[in-house]
Formats: sequence, C-alpha cells, structure tokens
Amino acid sequence: MTERDDDKLSRAARQLATAISPERDLWPGIAEAITAPKRPRWTPMFAQAAAVLLLVGASSAVTYFAVKDTTPVLVPVAQDLIFEQASFGSRYNLGPGFQEARNALVAEFEFELQRLPPETRTEIKTNLELVQKAIFDINQALEQEPGNTLLQERLLRTYRNELELLRRVGGLTRDVMRRNDI
Amino acid sequence: MAALLTANTSDYSHLMVTETRNVAADEAAWIRQAQRSDAQAFEALYRLHVDKVYGLCLRMTGNVSEAEDCAQEAFIQAWNKLDKFRGDSAFATWLHRIAVNAVLGRIRKSKREQDRIEAVALEAPVRISTGDTGELRDLSEAIDRLPEGARHVFLLHAVYGYSHEEAGSMLGIAAGTSKAQLHRARRLLAQQLKEQGFEA
Repeated sequence: MTERDDDKLSRAARQLATAISPERDLWPGIAEAITAPKRPRWTPMFAQAAAVLLLVGASSAVTYFAVKDTTPVLVPVAQDLIFEQASFGSRYNLGPGFQEARNALVAEFEFELQRLPPETRTEIKTNLELVQKAIFDINQALEQEPGNTLLQERLLRTYRNELELLRRVGGLTRDVMRRNDI
Repeated sequence: MAALLTANTSDYSHLMVTETRNVAADEAAWIRQAQRSDAQAFEALYRLHVDKVYGLCLRMTGNVSEAEDCAQEAFIQAWNKLDKFRGDSAFATWLHRIAVNAVLGRIRKSKREQDRIEAVALEAPVRISTGDTGELRDLSEAIDRLPEGARHVFLLHAVYGYSHEEAGSMLGIAAGTSKAQLHRARRLLAQQLKEQGFEA
C-alpha cells in the first residue's frame, strides 16, 4: 500500500459520518432505568442466601424421603470402629476392603510414628484423636437418625480424612529417607 | 463588495463561536445539574450526544439492535458514574469511553460478534444505514468486514480522530498494538477497496 493510498483512505475515513441518529428514541428506556428506585444492595444477597437455604432444605427433604428405610439400621458405635458394620441405608457400605486398607495404614502409621520426634508424635496423635472423636460423634448421631444423608456423607468424609492422615504420616519418614539417600 | 463579504464572514464566525461557547456552557451546566440527580438535565446531555454515541456503537457492532442496546447501556452507566466525572477530559470523550466499554462488554458476553463476522464472511452482509453515500458507503461496508480488533482501532483513530494512546486506553490495548492494528486495517481495506475499484 502506498503513502498516497494511506492519505486517500485517511481522508475518506474522516469524511464518514460519526453522528448517526438512532431509528428510534432511546431516551424512554434510559429514563425508565435511571428513574426506577434503586433496589437495596442486600436484596440480591438475601435472595441468594434464601434460595440456597431453600434448595438445601428441599434437596435434603427429597433425599430423606427417597432413601428412608423403614427397617431400623443398627450402627455399632465403638472406639475401635468396626468399619464393615458401619453401613447405613442403601447408599454407603464400608466393607472389608476399606477395613483392610485402614489396617495396613494403621500398621505403617504406628511404625513410622515411633521414628518421629516426640513433639511431632504428640501433635499427630492429637490430630488423629480429633478425627476419631468426630467419627464417634457422627456415628452416635447416626444412631438417632440412620437415614440422614448429610450425616452419612459427613462420616464418609471424616473416614477419608483419617485415612489421609494415616497415609501421610505413614509416608513421612520414607520421604525424608529418600531425600537423605540423594 | 469584498469588504462586505469579509464583514459578513467575520460576523458569521463570531456567531458560530458564540454558539459553540453557549453549547459548552450549557453542557457544563447540564453536567452539574445531572450530577445532582436532575434527570431533565441528563436528558439534555443525552440529546446533545446521542447521535455520536449511537454512531460509534453502530459502527463498532455493525448491528442496529446491538447499537441501540449499547447506546442505552452507555447512557445508563454514564448516569450511574456521573459523580466520578471530574472534567479531566471532554464529556464526549468520557461518554465515548463508556460506550466503547459497553460494546466490548457486550461482545465478550454474547459472542454475537463472532457470529456477525461469520455471517459477513458467508456473504450475508448486514446492511446498516449510516448515511454514507457512494464511495463512502463502500468504505463503510469494507470497514464493517474488518476483523474486530482492526475495525475498532480504525474507527476510533481514523474515523473518530482519537490518538493511538486514547484509542488503546479505550480498548484496553497498548498504543503500539493500536498502531499495528491500524496498519493491518489499512492493508485489508486497501485490498478490499482495490477489488471494488475504489477511487478518491
């Protein structure tokens, strides 16, 4: 493209209309928007919170009636947690596989725990006791409400937390040793 | 006779300058009143600027309905932000910046821009009435077929007269990018117009 073309183009561009009248008057729509009373800022947040509560409530109610089992479910509660018996309703079954995995992790955990400094050991034990206390409490609550799916999900999550803690401690000193080896 | 013509021209210029000053004074007053939530004063500002704001929206979107929505949105946003206008730039520039933002926001949200370009590429041109005639209409349609980035820069810089710094700031790009997009736009326009036998 030559300089002359640029100039020609520039001149033509400057001649293009910059002011174009809209085909209809846009003011009524603008006037309506700017004169409408402003809704308080908290309204959408309140509405959202109410909607969330309603959704959670409705969802829990539907789930409760859907999974409601008329036969009583026994949920054994014990300090040593017998997982294969900790099943409830028809959705969750913590079977022997889970127990085996946990046993293996506990053995590794106990072994590795002894190799850690005393203060770290105490801290980890305290954390594990907290998780296990939570499992115990949820199991107790499930005795009263065996069909409560929120509690069931909470229990599963806490079991997973316990496994994760066991797994992390189990691999802790191994990782340190690997780094030392390098 | 020559003296009379000179005198007449001089008188006419004087009147024009006075009128411009009056409009500027009116605009400043309307802005102050609108900042105090005077909707009537804001309507006066709307009447003063709507054609340029709508023109910019129409050329940027290439679609009457989108342009109307963007122009309305721009004025509503301007009303809501009016207390932030300090007069650092001309009110028109401030308003155009808001309009460009409205257009860009709409493009990002709806992706209709892409659909529009595809529609143009499929030889289904959207005919918009810009008031341009003859070769200028050819140029207008050629601009409409440009890719989004090049088109926006060309419009703001070459048509609306904003500097690369101002155009870049409005579009959220660097001045250098604006220059590059302008070069690209010119190259593409020259190709298109040459095919159409555009002559100055």
